Amino acid sequence: MNETLEQLQQLAGEYVLGTLPAAARRDVEQRLAREPQLRAEVDAWERRLLPLTALAEPVEPSAQLWPRIATSLQRRAAAVETAAEGWRRWWDDLRLWRGLAGGAVAASAVLAALLLVKPEPPGPAYMVVLAAPQDQGAGWVVQASLDRKLTLTPLHGTVVPDRKALQFWTKATNWSGPVSLGLVAPDRARKLALDQLPPVEPDQLFEITLEPETGSPTGKPTGPVLYIGKAVKVMM
Amino acid sequence: MPNAPDGFDYDAVLRACARGEQQALHHLYQQDGRHLLGVALRIVRRRDVAEDVLHDAFVSIWQKAASFDAGRGAGRGWIYSVVRHQALNALRGGEREVQADADTLDALQEAQADNTADTVAEQFELQASMGRLQDCLEHLDSAKRNSIVCAYVDGCSHSEIATRLNAPLGSVKAWLKRGLAALRECMG
Repeated sequence: MNETLEQLQQLAGEYVLGTLPAAARRDVEQRLAREPQLRAEVDAWERRLLPLTALAEPVEPSAQLWPRIATSLQRRAAAVETAAEGWRRWWDDLRLWRGLAGGAVAASAVLAALLLVKPEPPGPAYMVVLAAPQDQGAGWVVQASLDRKLTLTPLHGTVVPDRKALQFWTKATNWSGPVSLGLVAPDRARKLALDQLPPVEPDQLFEITLEPETGSPTGKPTGPVLYIGKAVKVMM
Repeated sequence: MPNAPDGFDYDAVLRACARGEQQALHHLYQQDGRHLLGVALRIVRRRDVAEDVLHDAFVSIWQKAASFDAGRGAGRGWIYSVVRHQALNALRGGEREVQADADTLDALQEAQADNTADTVAEQFELQASMGRLQDCLEHLDSAKRNSIVCAYVDGCSHSEIATRLNAPLGSVKAWLKRGLAALRECMG
């Protein structure tokens, strides 16, 4: 879609005004996460038009409204706790790792193909094929170089539901928990510098989970694991 | 406009929410709950729906507080936009979408839009507290001004604006388009 700047500003303006029909609103909301320019235009319109909220007369909320909000927050906190608990059990489940080992054949084939196609000097020090836990289908490849640069490349697009996002995590064997490497677009390669983390080590885990659109609210994975794999050292 | 006149620090409240301090969200509710409910009610027009919207918006503010980025705008504006969009989604989600008439008809009506633009009666009273926005809105002709205010404040769709201002749909679309462009120009 070739949109002029003027069309983008118009779309952002009508989105903030509220005149877009439901489908067009959803479309804009999905684009906001991945289009900084649209995001900036929307932010600018929000700022410009905000003073108009003064035209709405204040209305006293009913006495039940705050207790209802407080209850929802507590329920939500409990649900997050349960999800984190489930995730720890899952992470510790040996069967998963046996399953992944079974998928290693497929993973090696992908690795071999990639190495043949992309002999980029200096070569990566580690490679990881992230596969779906259910069917071992390879979805992403992680390449980590010795200077702690990491590239995450999708092998195919991943369908992300509305108001959800993909979040990328890693955990080395002796770390207490996984560390977020940020949100990733479902169909684009991403380069990362791991300056804050120790160098990648053999068997270090990488995974992508499905999280709320702004990322996990707890700093730990809360949603289902879509892709997971362990780091394998490759020749330099 | 980072803070209300009484110095309420919205950015600090959002940072506290991000740290999990529920008391901070309650302070926000006490500070702005009435006004936010007013904003939602004007858009969704039903008291029970407006309270549902405010409930969902506060849960959403709580969940998304960590993603609030003060570099992109002030906390107060962020909070109001969460409530407004929650209300707009409730409003538009419940509508059966009727797609507007053929584009050719729209184009014909757009051509006539400017001829009738000054005959639209004022529907809103602007306020001096609106600052630059008020000046810029007053520079628009009444049709563009009323279309924009109707949409933002009352959640009017294109066809509702057409009904309220007794104008063809194509004219309304043109007014919004040109009104937004002029506002942008005026406000920078």
